[in-house]
Amino acid sequence: MNRIIGTTLACAGLLTATAACGGSDSGGESDGPVTVTVMTWESPETNTAIKKALEGFKDDNIKVELVDTPSGGYGDKLASLTQAKKLPDLFWCGNDTEQQYTSQGLLVDWSKRLDSGDGELKADKFVGSAMENWKTGDGQMGGLPSLMNTYGVWYNADAFKAAGIAEPKGGWSWDEMYAAAGKLAGKNGAKYGLVADQLTSLDGPFTMSMYSVSAGGAPFTDNVNRPTKAEIDGKFTEGVEKLAAAIKSGAVAPPGYDASNVPALFSGGKVPMMFGGQWLAAGFQTDKPKIKYGFAPFPQVQTPTTLYDSVGICTPQYTKNEDASYKVLEYINTKVWDAVLPASPVAPPAYTPAQESYFSALTKAGQNTVVDTVKADLAAEKTVGVRFTTQWASQVGDLTTAMYQPILNGKKPVSDLQGYVGKINELIKSQG
Amino acid sequence: MSRNAGSDVRAGYLFIAPAIIGFTVFVAYPLVRSFYLALTKYNGLTDPVFVGLANFRRLFTVDPAFWPSLRATGYLVVLYVPLSLAIGLALAMFCNQRFAGVRIVRTLAYLPVVLPAVATITLWKFILDPQVGLLNTVLEKLHLPTSTWLQSPTMSMPSIVLVMLWGVGGTMIIFLAALQAVPTELYEAARVDGAGPYAVFFRITMPMISPIMLLQVILQTTAALQTFNQPKILTGGGPGFSTNVLMLSIYNNGFSNLGRIPQLGYASAQVWVLFILIIAVIALTAKFSSLWTYSDNTPD
Repeated sequence: MNRIIGTTLACAGLLTATAACGGSDSGGESDGPVTVTVMTWESPETNTAIKKALEGFKDDNIKVELVDTPSGGYGDKLASLTQAKKLPDLFWCGNDTEQQYTSQGLLVDWSKRLDSGDGELKADKFVGSAMENWKTGDGQMGGLPSLMNTYGVWYNADAFKAAGIAEPKGGWSWDEMYAAAGKLAGKNGAKYGLVADQLTSLDGPFTMSMYSVSAGGAPFTDNVNRPTKAEIDGKFTEGVEKLAAAIKSGAVAPPGYDASNVPALFSGGKVPMMFGGQWLAAGFQTDKPKIKYGFAPFPQVQTPTTLYDSVGICTPQYTKNEDASYKVLEYINTKVWDAVLPASPVAPPAYTPAQESYFSALTKAGQNTVVDTVKADLAAEKTVGVRFTTQWASQVGDLTTAMYQPILNGKKPVSDLQGYVGKINELIKSQG
Repeated sequence: MSRNAGSDVRAGYLFIAPAIIGFTVFVAYPLVRSFYLALTKYNGLTDPVFVGLANFRRLFTVDPAFWPSLRATGYLVVLYVPLSLAIGLALAMFCNQRFAGVRIVRTLAYLPVVLPAVATITLWKFILDPQVGLLNTVLEKLHLPTSTWLQSPTMSMPSIVLVMLWGVGGTMIIFLAALQAVPTELYEAARVDGAGPYAVFFRITMPMISPIMLLQVILQTTAALQTFNQPKILTGGGPGFSTNVLMLSIYNNGFSNLGRIPQLGYASAQVWVLFILIIAVIALTAKFSSLWTYSDNTPD
């Protein structure tokens, strides 16, 4: 028995020693270069371009390593790495992730480093709305915005021509959009004229906010990061009534419509109009849809209004290479996009001096409507946030499913909007 | 106790040690830990904060998703369990016949169980696509009414049940084993007495396989209460809350994606509700089983 116990202890000791020696350590040897790990949610093609571009980073003391990750399961991967406290030195993150992780003290605060002006990055060169939204209530920035997401309406120009409707362009109205959707519905295998997932999904009330703000009304919430209230005024209600009518008539796809396959259906001519982001342009550039397509700004009531949303790059608070990580971060924001975006124009950089390569790539590819719409979005007079970034945002999502979406479907009266917003305000109050 | 007996006891403990350690580490500890977490506000990153029954209060009185989740789970159980048992038994009875190619039929019926679940479910997602899916295409060709299937609040759960029934071969195999264990002399005696097929089925087959039926009811109900893969892959819980079953809700709260901070304490409270629900269903099924199951262990 003693021999068994002895052998067991010896094995355990050996395993412990092996684990101690073989553990992952991005810090590198004390006398060698440190390794900065980078993780993205991009496609394999874009990751290849990023990897190649990162090879241009020259610093004898820093080695950059791109971590492989399946782009489809990025959220799950991020959650498990966070709980295991093994986040890479730099990882792609959304605005809500940055806000929530920063509030938990999980991320390095770059605000002071940025404000000092010592580095290559200058705060005033970033898109203003992105910078504002990446700051927490106490002015921390757990990451830096990297790319801007702009949104609009993708349309099948051939379908519009066949139906004798003028193509959408900046300044078109919501009524014109719904009228066009009504005419296009049921034609050429298209069940609905417009698939507007952003209007009917859990983020729908924020998107609808564009209607009320454009009409001079109130936004759905005063602040997506630190809301003090949610509001549904007369203009907002008017917008909901028009959408519900369009859904009822069959012009617009209802809540619950599976939007995951919609870009493919759009390419195949089965969806004449869809709400979507500018990032689809990169896929269309590669896949070359058979239809002639265009990208228009969102419709408006009076004032041009759009959504603001940016993604960025964060660094865990426990990184061993803070200085090195910031240097690589600077390199990504100022140099990498110039090399990556011409091959894969996914989004305009949030750092404005780096935007030129994105627009010239799209222009070269003949995607002029995308250029015009993205530029119009970035310059829009009024903007609204896409969703709450708070930790209790999922609870608002449940309220939206239970109360807002049935209104759009015509299963509950529009007057229930006040009850819905009242519940959200109770939630805001209870969360302090 | 002799020296040899003591040695045997030690060897016995040694042999069952892996099972005891496994049970302690993977069942008992998580059970106790999850109950503790159900009483806390815990995100997996910072220390749990004790909040008493607040998570349960939120579940039953505030959360707009909880009752619809329970309804969706109940609907799934009510729809799936009887259908899976009926189809499984019918298939088993068919495969219990003697005819050429019966082995091929049995293999084909069991094949979907062997295939990777995710692959099968993903395939069904394409089949059920309302615009380009195979099912609607075939229905259109036959001039039959089509549906939006997974995207319709009324058809989404039946569609999920349809996909789940694809794996009914597992139920069939167990019923087939039970049918083959029924003594043939009972059937022969019934035939001599002039019993028809219905009488044979209800007076011989059903009573004789009723203990296996009880087992199947418990297994299928438990499996249905824990359904996750199909709604996760096919609908994500929608449209609305129509397919947002409890397991999916637990996953979304506990391991919420898109970089949101998880609510592990709240999800643990949901886990305990599900756990109690499963225990209650099994207890009720077992309690009333004597009304419809046959046992030859009755005292003389």
